[in-house]
Amino acid sequence: MRKRVISLLLVLNIVSIFALEKVDIVLDWTPNTNHTGIYAAKEMGYFKEEGIEADILQPANGTSTQLIATGRADFGVTYQEAVTFARLEGLPIVSLGAIIQHNTSGFASLKEKGIKSPADFKGKNYGGWGSPVEEATLKELIEQDGGRIKDINILTTGSMDFFKSSENDVDFAWVFEGWTNIEAKLQGKKLNYIRLRDYSEDLDYYTPIFASSEKLIKTNPELVKKVMRAVKKGYEYSVKNPEKAGELLLKEVPELDRNLVIESQKYLASKYTDDAPYWGHQKLEVWERYQKWLYKNNLIDGTTDMKKAFTNKFLKN
Amino acid sequence: MKKSVNTEKNNLFLISLLVLVVGCEVIIRALEIPGYILPTPTRVIAALYSQKEVLFSHSLVTLFEALTGFILSIFFALVIGGIVYPFEKVKKLLYPYLLISQTIPLIAIAPVILIWFGFGVLPKIIIVILICTFPMLLSFLGGLEEVDREILDLFQVMGAGKKYIFFKVILPSSLPGFFSGVKIAATYSIMGAVIGEWLGAKSGLGIYMTRAISSFKTDYLFAAIIVVVVLSLAIFKGIEYIEKAAMPWKNKKS
Repeated sequence: MRKRVISLLLVLNIVSIFALEKVDIVLDWTPNTNHTGIYAAKEMGYFKEEGIEADILQPANGTSTQLIATGRADFGVTYQEAVTFARLEGLPIVSLGAIIQHNTSGFASLKEKGIKSPADFKGKNYGGWGSPVEEATLKELIEQDGGRIKDINILTTGSMDFFKSSENDVDFAWVFEGWTNIEAKLQGKKLNYIRLRDYSEDLDYYTPIFASSEKLIKTNPELVKKVMRAVKKGYEYSVKNPEKAGELLLKEVPELDRNLVIESQKYLASKYTDDAPYWGHQKLEVWERYQKWLYKNNLIDGTTDMKKAFTNKFLKN
Repeated sequence: MKKSVNTEKNNLFLISLLVLVVGCEVIIRALEIPGYILPTPTRVIAALYSQKEVLFSHSLVTLFEALTGFILSIFFALVIGGIVYPFEKVKKLLYPYLLISQTIPLIAIAPVILIWFGFGVLPKIIIVILICTFPMLLSFLGGLEEVDREILDLFQVMGAGKKYIFFKVILPSSLPGFFSGVKIAATYSIMGAVIGEWLGAKSGLGIYMTRAISSFKTDYLFAAIIVVVVLSLAIFKGIEYIEKAAMPWKNKKS
């Protein structure tokens, strides 16, 4: 029996070399440890097992959502905030899995800037990528502390690295704990960090997420299932073997800093799945809660059905 | 006589533009292309109207950066050209460097310029200068070669000084060539400022576009593009006007 299985696998492998289905996956930003599971799935051959050849592409920052929604890319990484805004504008994008279970993002600043709480945002320069979500989130935080959004100088700095822009005009930026905060530690720089989740449960949403388009889900659910199986395996591998997973990411993206990747991987290992029943699982409550929060704060004019914004159905093996 | 030819040309342009816009509208509606892929012209016009205050305030920033950079570029082109013109060797020495400066991919160097000079207006002005100076300098140097040798000989025979000859003969005859470079640079100047803003700024049309894209509002993006086109054309037209004023002897030919 076992021999037969092995020979069958061998045959399948040979067949798959000739008949790999090509899939484009776009990242949301420059490659980092949020993406490790995808790179691990590629390096460990999980995509190949499914008969898929995955190309991981990095478009201009902030464009992945459009590329996924319009089918220019089959799959990609984006955020719940972006999907919410996109669906409100009628873009047919669907989240297939939460890459990290809880929001590990927040506002970081060098210690000498003295930004300990949102009240300290007053008169400071925020450097971001120019999305409506940023202004909304800043508004919420500063108003909770009795300030006004008008007092914050919002700059768009594109993809400039946090530490480079901090040497310039930027006082604080929106970062992922598992990346920038660890980089600061390695560089011996002291940061002040304002964790989003600490200020409002509404802000504990899914970021980043793995997504595709309504069209692909409708026309080729088999492919979606295969890709999600491979990606899920990749993230499960990253949970169990943080250092090895980091090595796989480094192998694919050698430009990254080794120490940063390995340390970040150790931090994220417990965060990918966290308290969810399985990796990628999303709750309707989280999706609806965030949209309600946007609406309540007059950041959006209407609402849209959040049941259509995400699905767990491709994660159940 | 001349006026009627001009109005005819303008009418032709306006009619063709109208046909194009209406055609776009009909086709987009007929094919049911969603707004986030390609908005209908009416939606873009509506966006232009609803966003007019915001677009106006961003335009002022971009216009300031573009014009400042552009005017400085004219100055640089004239000064560098004037200095190197009499010295053939210096020109030959400088030329390859000028050429190399134009082959550096701007998108790659812009982030570095931002790191050096921050997110204010200065890096945008520098980017505009980098883009605009070269075509003007090149056309200016070309124009300086255009001088009529016979007139030059005549002046020399009559004992005119070098300086006098340069300002009275060589410089005026170089103007047509120089202005063709200025016009090319004029159309680049707004775009240069927008590219600079794209990479990092507080305000300006480039920032407005970034925000429009990340808010999935394609109609706003196209509205901003229209503003960029109109501003670029306005600068171009302004230069044409100055060109006519600077070379009155050319207008008499009609």
